[in-house]
Order: sequence, then structure tokens, then C-alpha cells
Amino acid sequence: MSELPKVGIISCSGEDCPGGNISREATLRVLHDIRPEETVTICLPLFLAGGEGERGFAKRFPTITVDGCGKLCAAIGTARFSSKPTVEINLEDYADFSSLKTEEKWHIQESSSNLVAKLAADIANLVDEIRSNSE
Amino acid sequence: MSDAKKIVIPCSGIGKAFGTVAREATYQLTETDYQNEWRTMCLPLLVAGDTEAIDLLKQSNVYTIDGCPKKCATLSVERIGVNVAMEVMVPKVLAQNTDHKPDNVFCIGPNGVLLAKDIVNKILKNGSD
Repeated sequence: MSELPKVGIISCSGEDCPGGNISREATLRVLHDIRPEETVTICLPLFLAGGEGERGFAKRFPTITVDGCGKLCAAIGTARFSSKPTVEINLEDYADFSSLKTEEKWHIQESSSNLVAKLAADIANLVDEIRSNSE
Repeated sequence: MSDAKKIVIPCSGIGKAFGTVAREATYQLTETDYQNEWRTMCLPLLVAGDTEAIDLLKQSNVYTIDGCPKKCATLSVERIGVNVAMEVMVPKVLAQNTDHKPDNVFCIGPNGVLLAKDIVNKILKNGSD
């Protein structure tokens, strides 16, 4: 019986940016709560710094990048050092951040929690789709 | 926003609680009592070669906070030709304050927040002019 591949999730760090914080939180929920058996963490700083394990995984297995803004550091970095991501998510396509509070650059607040939940659910659905397509 | 002389860059590693602690320490420095003096910068943006970010970095005193011995923040900054004024390793700070062990990568808990404060105090003590 063949085993379906795990999907690597690569989130941007996004310091000083609410999009980055939301991306990170949603990614953590998928990795730890929603799809823990189907996904693996790929640490973007380590990936960019030259982590061979991270880069090797991303060359062989499907990946989803989650970027908090249109600079797409996770997507561009993954394509540059490994392979083009299977799916690239840009959080700017999800929401207008101008209404988010400064505090939300660092800590999820009530106003951003729905967005985190939606993004996490969408990522999980993408994981399922990628894995089912690999059969 | 005023130009700050000091920039702190956390590793923000997503695999370990220490990455979240590094972010919390950065938040405490840049968004609370010290915000007029400190700012941060997105590490992946630097590695991606954003010229504006790199130029600002080269004009500043740079402090890195790394969550593990791989030292991604420190190494990434050095690779773009910038000297690091001070490196902080989160596990080493924890070794000096063993009660402040963070809960997990999701939520570092009150002890994790205290560990972040320990890091801030260490940086401020060494970073004073």
C-alpha cells in the first residue's frame, strides 16, 4: 500500500507586519491541530540560511507557502533554493490589513481570529487536495 | 516613524517555542517602553535582498535573537555583510533562568513571556551607550 506524501508548509516570519503574524498562526494551527499527520514544518529562516534538510524536503515533496504580504518571501525563497511551491498563498488576497491594530503584528486579537481560522481551514483543504492528487 | 539606531532581528523559527520567544522579546523591545529606540526587520526580506532593508541595516547597530544553535538570524545578517553588535541565544538565557521555560510554540505562556523579558534585559544591559 503506498503512503500519501506529507505536505511541507512554509510560512513567512513577517515581523512588524500583521500579515506575517496571521500567516504564522494559521500555519501553526494546521501543523499542530488540524492536519498534524499530513504536514511537516519547514522553518523558513533555516531554509533560507541553507538548511539542507529543509531544502531537500522541498525538492522532493509538495509544499505550500504562506506569505503575509505581496513581497512573497516564502514563495520566492522556496522557488529559488528548492522547487517552485505547489501552492502559493498571499494573505493580501484574503484581507485588507489597514483596519488591523498595531498589536496584531505580534498577537492575534479577536478581530483577526476569524481570518486565522479561515486561512487555516483553506490551507488544510489544500493539503487534502494535494495529497489526493498524488494518488 | 523615526529612524532608529538599533535594530533587533529574531529568528522566528516556527518549529520550536524558542522562535516564538524570540518574537515576543522583539515585540517587547519595539512596541513598548523602548519603541522610540528600537525597531525590527523581517529576516526573509533581508535574505531576499531587499536593498532598502539592507541599507538601513548597514547604518544601524544590529542585535540578533536566535532560538537554536543553527543561529539563522545571526548567520543570515552576517552573510549580507553586516556585523552583529550582539547575538542572543534563547536557550542560553533560559539556562540562566530555568524557571522561565516556555510552554509551546503556539503559546509560550507567562514563563515564556518572562524569558522574553530576560532577553530584553540582557540586550538593554549590553546595548546601552
